Amino acid sequence: MTIVVAYKYAANSQDASVAPDGHVDWSRAKEAVSEYDSVAIQFARHAAAAAGGDVVGVTVGGAAAGTPNARKGALARGLDRALVLADDATSGWNATATGSALAHLVERIDGVDCVMTGDASVDEGAQMIPALIAGHLGWPCFLEVRAIDRTADGWRLVQDHQGGTRTVDVAGHVVISVATDAVEAKSPGMKDILAAGKKPSEDVALAEVQPADVTWDVVGRAPAPTQARRRELFDGADAPAELAAALKTTGVL
Amino acid sequence: MSNTWVVATQPAIGSLLELGRARGGDVIVVAVGDAAAKAGGGDRVIRVEVAAGTPLEAVAPVVAAHVDPQPGDVVLTGSGSADRAIAGAVAARHGLPVARGVNHVATDEVRVPRYGGIAEETVSLEKAILLVVDAHGETEGEAAAGEPAEGDGYAATISGIDPGTSQQANLPAARRIVACGRGFKAESELQLASDLAVSIGAELACSRPLAEGSGWFPRDRYIGVSGSRVAPDIYLAVGISGQVQHTVGMKDSRVVVAINSDPQAPIFTQADYGIVGDLHEVLPALTAALGR
Ligand SMILES: Cc1cc2nc3c(=O)[nH]c(=O)nc-3n(C[C@H](O)[C@H](O)[C@H](O)COP(=O)(O)OP(=O)(O)OC[C@H]3O[C@@H](n4cnc5c(N)ncnc54)[C@H](O)[C@@H]3O)c2cc1C
Ligand SMILES: Nc1ncnc2c1ncn2[C@@H]1O[C@H](COP(=O)(O)O)[C@@H](O)[C@H]1O
Repeated sequence: MTIVVAYKYAANSQDASVAPDGHVDWSRAKEAVSEYDSVAIQFARHAAAAAGGDVVGVTVGGAAAGTPNARKGALARGLDRALVLADDATSGWNATATGSALAHLVERIDGVDCVMTGDASVDEGAQMIPALIAGHLGWPCFLEVRAIDRTADGWRLVQDHQGGTRTVDVAGHVVISVATDAVEAKSPGMKDILAAGKKPSEDVALAEVQPADVTWDVVGRAPAPTQARRRELFDGADAPAELAAALKTTGVL
Repeated sequence: MSNTWVVATQPAIGSLLELGRARGGDVIVVAVGDAAAKAGGGDRVIRVEVAAGTPLEAVAPVVAAHVDPQPGDVVLTGSGSADRAIAGAVAARHGLPVARGVNHVATDEVRVPRYGGIAEETVSLEKAILLVVDAHGETEGEAAAGEPAEGDGYAATISGIDPGTSQQANLPAARRIVACGRGFKAESELQLASDLAVSIGAELACSRPLAEGSGWFPRDRYIGVSGSRVAPDIYLAVGISGQVQHTVGMKDSRVVVAINSDPQAPIFTQADYGIVGDLHEVLPALTAALGR
């Protein structure tokens, strides 16, 4: 049995800045395995241990995703091996194209029973890639899953649902996203990182993947529209009374 | 003439219909399951039956087979987890680019947020596109009987439901919100925020770590890119640092107040008023001052 985890090597948009012309500057943002994808890897590790199987990572990214550090960072979190498509040409892709490329990577791996992803990527955060991978594979997709067990013909999963949870039995293959607090992802230690250096990772070239030809015409870019704020700060013992007075004059309270 | 396809998984799709109407052309509703079939307001309705005990996600391929976007059409889906699972199947089948959220829709272009909401792109609608947006708001008019959609879904069954204990929050409708962050170190300290909320008639909300991780709040009470989007008259952020993933969810608030012990906390740059101080001291004093 094989579980695939799609992980993204990306930077947090909190650390990016947007110029007035809409250009996004990522130069001060540090790339890493996307925060919630570490949770997915850890979750996959538990599921693979319970069902007896291995965990293979797949990623689509720019050249940075193919550096030794990027590979080790992912493998050290609990993957047995990885398939990496690292090419700067992917950076302009729409999620639908990325999803199709990830589906191609999954198809290159033998005997995959389940694909897992994080809840959201740290740069885009659109929470769409798992459903797109599933769409391209023709597999069912369930999001926000917090427990999973192998059954005779598929999987039983517990999914967050309307403030509670529900249990779903799925026959055959499935793609899931893992709830951010399904398990705790611990940061890899020195031993994990050293071991990761010996784990295999395979490069897949762009030409081998042939992503879906999905383009969109971006005709304009801008920073997100924001409201100007007053930024009036109070401190000291009288601050609460001063704030209360200020709020009363705004008329909102 | 370009049309809008609305994939409905529940009846409150007013916001989606409104986007479709703003573009002109026909609005074709694909109603998934019995609940969605109650939504009115479509020019044409296609009904996808979902057998009892089957999750909506299972009919994703049936929906994908019956949405037929032509160049210039827009497909709209909700943003719940079943909606997104279906959206992925539709986009993959028809090769549609996908955007999450929409800031503005016109006949020939849309403005969509990128990178967790820090930037915005204007995308031409010459080709078809799929937009995943929050679905809410009642619809008007009778629901049409609709054309039935045939096809096979995936084999999946719901074998148990745990409804949870919390009442569903409706934060997007709240006029006043007190939001708590990791500045609260123990669950018992939340009483301070609750006292303030009660005194001004506000709803309680939180940052993501307090809902997922510590589990002090139900998941529908966290605000942000992956949580609820709110626009109250007043938003009081207490012990929240102001990371962009949080602030995109509250940036449309009319007045923002921040209480944080760190004068460098990014939340202060997005606040109208702020108090630099320890919430343990500030909250009781503020509750008292506002009560007067
Ligand atoms: C893909 C992705 C999606 C995400 N989506 C969301 C989302 O939708 N919503 C969301 O909220 N987050 C989201 N996050 C998490 C987000 O990045 C931040 O980690 C989170 O918002 C931080 O929460 P916080 O401000 O409560 O905690 P922290 O960042 O830890 O801030 C705590 C603040 O409390 C202050 N403080 C400490 N003690 C006191 C005291 N005694 N009195 C007053 N102030 C005090 C500190 O100075 C600090 O500023 C997401 C993250 C990722 C990677
Ligand atoms: N380029 C990528 N390569 C591999 N996995 C990805 C990629 N983009 C997104 N994912 C996975 O899909 C999840 C959701 O991403 P997103 O739709 O961008 O929010 C992430 O947490 C990852 O697990």
